[in-house]
Amino acid sequence: MEYKDETTSISGSWNLGQWHWKHETAVLMQHFLASLKDKKVLGLKCPECGLVYCPPKPYCSCLSIPEEWVEISDEGVVTTFTFSGSWSYGGMEEGAGTPRIIVGVMLDGSNTEMLSQLEDADRDHVDVGMRVKVKWADEPQGTIEDVMHSLPA
Amino acid sequence: MEREVAIIGYAQTPYEEDADASREILVLRAAREALASAGLSRDDIGTVITANNDYLDGRTISNMRLVEPSGACLKDESKVEMDGAYAALYALMRLLSGFHDVAMVIGESQASVYPTYAPGVMTLDPTWDRQRGLLNEVSAAALQARSYMNTYGISEEQIAAVAAKNLGNAVKNPLALRAVPGATVEQVMGSRMLCSPIREMCAWPATDGACAIVLAAGDVARKANRAAWIRGVGFYHDSYLTERPLDKMTSLKMAADKCYAMAGIEHPEVEIDLAEISELFAHEELMAYEALGFCAEGKGGEFIDSGATRMDGILPVNPSGGVLAANAVCAAGLARLAEAAMQITGEAGDHQVKGVKTALAHGQTGLCAQENIVYVLGGE
Amino acid sequence: MRDVAVVGVGLSKHVSKRRDVNIPELVWEGVSAAYEDAGITPRDLDGIITGNMPAFEGVNLPELWGAGHWGAYNKPVLRITTGGTTGGSVGHGAFYAVASGLMDTVIAIAFEKQSDGDSTAGLNTVAVADMAPFLSYGIDPAFMLAFGGGAVGVAVYQASSYMKRSGCTPHHLDKVSVLCRTNAAKNPAAHLKQPGLTPEEVARTALMQYPLRFGHVCPASDGACAMILTTAEKAKKLTDKPAFIRSVASCSEEGALVGIAAAGTANTDPCAQEGCKVAAANAYRKAGIKEPRQEIDLAEPYAPFAHQLLMFYERLLLCDEGEAPSILDSGSMELDGALPVCPSGGVISTNAIGASALERIAEAALQIMGKAGEHQVEKDVHKAVAHGWGGAVNLNVVAVLADTPTPRG
Repeated sequence: MEYKDETTSISGSWNLGQWHWKHETAVLMQHFLASLKDKKVLGLKCPECGLVYCPPKPYCSCLSIPEEWVEISDEGVVTTFTFSGSWSYGGMEEGAGTPRIIVGVMLDGSNTEMLSQLEDADRDHVDVGMRVKVKWADEPQGTIEDVMHSLPA
Repeated sequence: MEREVAIIGYAQTPYEEDADASREILVLRAAREALASAGLSRDDIGTVITANNDYLDGRTISNMRLVEPSGACLKDESKVEMDGAYAALYALMRLLSGFHDVAMVIGESQASVYPTYAPGVMTLDPTWDRQRGLLNEVSAAALQARSYMNTYGISEEQIAAVAAKNLGNAVKNPLALRAVPGATVEQVMGSRMLCSPIREMCAWPATDGACAIVLAAGDVARKANRAAWIRGVGFYHDSYLTERPLDKMTSLKMAADKCYAMAGIEHPEVEIDLAEISELFAHEELMAYEALGFCAEGKGGEFIDSGATRMDGILPVNPSGGVLAANAVCAAGLARLAEAAMQITGEAGDHQVKGVKTALAHGQTGLCAQENIVYVLGGE
Repeated sequence: MRDVAVVGVGLSKHVSKRRDVNIPELVWEGVSAAYEDAGITPRDLDGIITGNMPAFEGVNLPELWGAGHWGAYNKPVLRITTGGTTGGSVGHGAFYAVASGLMDTVIAIAFEKQSDGDSTAGLNTVAVADMAPFLSYGIDPAFMLAFGGGAVGVAVYQASSYMKRSGCTPHHLDKVSVLCRTNAAKNPAAHLKQPGLTPEEVARTALMQYPLRFGHVCPASDGACAMILTTAEKAKKLTDKPAFIRSVASCSEEGALVGIAAAGTANTDPCAQEGCKVAAANAYRKAGIKEPRQEIDLAEPYAPFAHQLLMFYERLLLCDEGEAPSILDSGSMELDGALPVCPSGGVISTNAIGASALERIAEAALQIMGKAGEHQVEKDVHKAVAHGWGGAVNLNVVAVLADTPTPRG
């Protein structure tokens, strides 16, 4: 391939700040987050196929709208995991300080998973299938961070 | 065509300025309702095609969160990033191939979540036209309108008459966003000037909404509650807007000719009973009359003056109110198909035109209607 | 349905940054090569099917601006885009255009010029839109993005889950990279060519995010792919040895972007890829293939990350679940093996995202036509499977190609 001279570069931008997305999730999350203050984890159950979504999801694959709130456990099973190395690439930095272990957790009573940072665990012993539980703060604040940390169960 | 294909179900959400739901929920509502109208369940669907645009939705791979609400979970799903009438085309191809028998087609967009004219600017040549900042959806349409008016001696009043007709028709369409009871040419001429000669009432309104149709082939179509059969389709691409004459719609004419040949239509002005046209701006409807062969070249103005395209005329155009009454961008052409089908099956309600046996539906993509697609639908 | 044949393939050169051409010019390199390969001109076309990922270059619907350069003047154009599967979806669209009887000869065009934009930023728009409700609760976006797995995204979760389920070890991942990058060294269109690469060298690259190292991950490429499809009758006049696309099938699932989605997802195991199995089974059935393990001669799975080559080999029903790592060890996936995999070098060597899934189909076609050149596999290729993957880990597209049309009756 014969290379020509460089083309002229002209800068432009795509301003995502112009978009104001709508999400039913924001409304559902208010209820979900409020109950975290009482150390209760809620799931949203689909009336037709019975799947329980946690965090709540406003629509189901079966074309129904999940509506019923059900309480689920704060213990569950690791579905997948990762931890970072130490690198920088394309303007991103990763791995400064102690690498975080991130696990996918399916809480008992839910059909879905959410990500959580696993603490007090050795990264060589983390595995799919491991039991973990939510690490509650003494006084949960009613934010998503209340359920974003877990401990081996 | 290799197989007979019909529209057997359809649904549109109400068109609104600021819908009370996310696009996912709008799509879910349209999908459920379209399935119900077709008398089918999700299990009967073989393939799902959605029409949406990453820039309109402000997210990469804009179809991927629509898998669940469109009923596509574990189905053969794809996305056409054009007007919804092209999504219907892709669904039609899939049915004609014999690989599938029933298809769901859904188009959606929400003007309330993005600055509605921004995505059009992003389609411009990034090294030249976008840098100069002269062209956008409205100014490009204004250049097109002026060019058309100049070549053929079309007056601003004749263009305003299109808006008056369509916005008046919209009064009888409960789903329409912009309806103006007893709309007059004077009223349209008195509306705010956006970019000469385009006035506010001659430009599409920013709209939230979704439209879904169910297409079926063969036995499923024959046994359906209702059927509006696809007799012909044609679609063509025109050159980039600064590289072609703007005073005529060449690709629409080619699309119409192709479609008519397939449908066996020789005299469209006589054989077509009704048309639903995607007129993003009022003057485009006049240009479309000519390109579709409803009248001679340059005679679009006289044709609207004759009253032929009124709801009670010989060839009603846009009894739904058209795109001037509601334009959920990627759903617009799909809504034209749904409306044309409703007129054939006699389910158009208050805006039903009597005795529609053959109807035309049109969709477009790109600034100044760069790409056009035309369908002819028939009854029995 | 009508039989559909591939009669021409064209690929541009793929490198990190093509600064000497703009988007339409880059695409023209692939397009003109396809016209030349098929021995036709744009006049012979009935239509164009095209797609890319518009958020990556910052141009919305780029064919409105560029398609005139590719032969679209007064032709029908259909734009199909589905994220990582875009190229496959474009190929499928071209297949259906011919199979439907609406068109005879079409060109499928898929491309990406990632150096014109910021692909990671483009991909993050997926997350930004979904994270919007979280942001309204004051969550730090950087915290959420870190949960997304950093630059390699959800692939790391998929990889660790796959390794648990299959017994695949980090050493297998290293060997996949070697297989692909050494094949790429023989492919003039490939981007990352590493002749003589060893697993030890791959294992020495930095750990990006467990279990994936830099050596296990695709590069970002600029490139274009074009493919000309026509009817069996017209193909006879153009070539003695066309490649027939016997069938295509796609399957979409509930999104599986663990955690960065604003809602729970019941698709909890990103390595299950049920959709790939469904699409593969449908594609084989429609292609008249009863025993894919015996009948398929070559596979081009879409694998931007090393574990995916093995995972999709299984999900394409070419072996039982968990068997792929030992099949890799046996040498059967090599160019001279029993069922060569990614002879082109695969996506892990070359990833112009919108084009990648079409390049899988194009490679299968080239191998069947015997035109792959230095990376032509040793055995005769009668039947091949080409795959694409993307979205929120939830979209799969599969095409089955062969040297003969689908048997009827």
